[in-house]
Amino acid sequence: MTGPRLPVSSVLMTPPLLTILALGLAPLTIVVVWSFWSWDPSTYWIKPDLSLAGYAGILEAGRWTVIVSTLVKAFGTALLCLLIAYPTAYAVHFLAGRRLSIILLALITIPFFTSYLIRSFSWRLVLGRTGVLNTWLQDLGITNAPVDWLLFSNFAVVVGLVASYLPFATFPLLLSMRRVDPTFLAAAQDLGAGFWKSLTSILLPLTMPGIFAGFLFVFVMVVGSSTEVQMLGGAGASIVSVMINDVMRVANYPLAFAISTIVLIVIFGLVLIGNRIFGLASLFEDQSP
Amino acid sequence: MAISIQIDRVSREYGPVKALDDVSLDIKAGEFFTLLGSSGCGKSSLLKLIGGFDRQTSGRVAFDGKDVGDLPANKRPVNTVFQSLALFPHMRVAQNVGYGLRLKGLSGASLDTKINDALDLVELSGFGPRDVNLLSGGQRQRQLARALVMEPGILLLDEPLTGLDERLRQQMRDEFGRLHKRTGATFILVTHNQDEALSLSDRMAVMHKGRIEQVDSPARFFEAPANAFVARFVGIDTLLRPERIVSTGGQTEATVGGQTLQVRTQGTVDTAASIIAIRPDRLFVARQGLPHALTLTVVETTFRGLHRDLKLAFADGQTLVIAIEADTDIGQLSTGQQVPVGLKPDAAVLISSAGLPPAG
Repeated sequence: MTGPRLPVSSVLMTPPLLTILALGLAPLTIVVVWSFWSWDPSTYWIKPDLSLAGYAGILEAGRWTVIVSTLVKAFGTALLCLLIAYPTAYAVHFLAGRRLSIILLALITIPFFTSYLIRSFSWRLVLGRTGVLNTWLQDLGITNAPVDWLLFSNFAVVVGLVASYLPFATFPLLLSMRRVDPTFLAAAQDLGAGFWKSLTSILLPLTMPGIFAGFLFVFVMVVGSSTEVQMLGGAGASIVSVMINDVMRVANYPLAFAISTIVLIVIFGLVLIGNRIFGLASLFEDQSP
Repeated sequence: MAISIQIDRVSREYGPVKALDDVSLDIKAGEFFTLLGSSGCGKSSLLKLIGGFDRQTSGRVAFDGKDVGDLPANKRPVNTVFQSLALFPHMRVAQNVGYGLRLKGLSGASLDTKINDALDLVELSGFGPRDVNLLSGGQRQRQLARALVMEPGILLLDEPLTGLDERLRQQMRDEFGRLHKRTGATFILVTHNQDEALSLSDRMAVMHKGRIEQVDSPARFFEAPANAFVARFVGIDTLLRPERIVSTGGQTEATVGGQTLQVRTQGTVDTAASIIAIRPDRLFVARQGLPHALTLTVVETTFRGLHRDLKLAFADGQTLVIAIEADTDIGQLSTGQQVPVGLKPDAAVLISSAGLPPAG
């Protein structure tokens, strides 16, 4: 096309591009820039002076241990979700018939219709001293007294997190399994592979993009979560979001944003590594022979 | 090494649909056997049962006389070349070829030797380290090495040539014949392509609606098609409805459009459900005065490249087609002209009219 007219494609591209820039990139830029400003504790005011005080603040009051424990929790939850979601996705895609797979997908999705708050709270009713689980344990004679560590503990937090974010692992896995030509599995079987061998040598490698996408979704959601820790965690239990919230109460934006920046860097790093190793982008590519 | 297959009264039903309907078949060890039919005829369903990817609803599948119903695909002495080829995209060529061998416990030098031998056999020497996704269509086809390297007693070929251009198709077809001789295994080819079936098979089965219509050597399908469906399927398009059939002594004569012609018969003749199949290659335009010649009316001539189709009509409107050489001097043939037509021996065969749509 010649002349000053813009190609149709770039005209169509402009609105979404501007939206992404305004709603996504702009706030992130502010977060990163303000993390280098300085904060006056006497006036609660921030000034645009270049300062690393925010980052230094991370090392104080054990804040970095909260970041580390958050990342560990996110990592563990993501792995647990994958362990549960992979067989689930396998069952939905390979084992269930049309009707059953729709029912299973609905069962996976429906809990999402209620808020995190309600779902976390309902775990209190299950895991508490007089909760469903403790009652059963005692009725069955497995324990004599209520088990205390079931609620207000890291165990409870992880249970709540897995329950909340499991579908974020299931759906990418399902998507990636749908992209695997079933004749690959038939061919593996034809060449002598049993169930486990064809799983490990064919299905797992071919669904790697889905595995990593599911891992990343859960990881990111857990790092940004707060409800589960507040509702189910023990005394003094914290997570990055809760900590940022505490810091924001005294309007210490540079510290809050410094913590955010560190978390952002970790997540971006993971995405880049994942894309390099597992070909994350291939999950969304056209299937071409 | 080669294994024989016994299919005994096998049916496979999907709800109300019968993909296979009471099929019985014996395939000899070392035979090149073809299942021929159009899509939906049940040929792939039968192949799946032999491969172990599916289970029959009733009946028995046996290898060398032993029932294999409970043997899963990964335990059967069968390997398959899939239509989509199903090359593992995350593995190199050598890894693809060696996949089954590694599962058998081979490793190191003996594994490499076998992989290289297999690649040599299909003329892909030196391709081992290549990415399978970057192979050309023809090179991908040669990945049947992955199945051959397993030295299977039975090799199943599921429409492996579909989607290839004509030249490559012929090349691979010859390759299959060569590999069959080299390996001595029982080859079973599933195809809808008659050329492949005719040129490769020792015997073939024509399937239709889940049933086997005829099992024979390729030549027999032309000499003695079992019924009208088979005749049509192998390209004997001229099928004439006789007015009358008279058997005297060993000879049978049929009357079509008021003219009598000699027909060959096979077995007992059910005159009510019989039809005359005419082989177009056994007809010729005769000189005037040839005894027993038919006199037919020219409908049209069509130029077909290497030959010319001459369409002729009987008095009752039934037509037949003669293939004549493009440069034959047959004078000026104009529509409506009367032409004498001679029949070589066995030009007309009386067959069952089963599979023929009702006259319309």
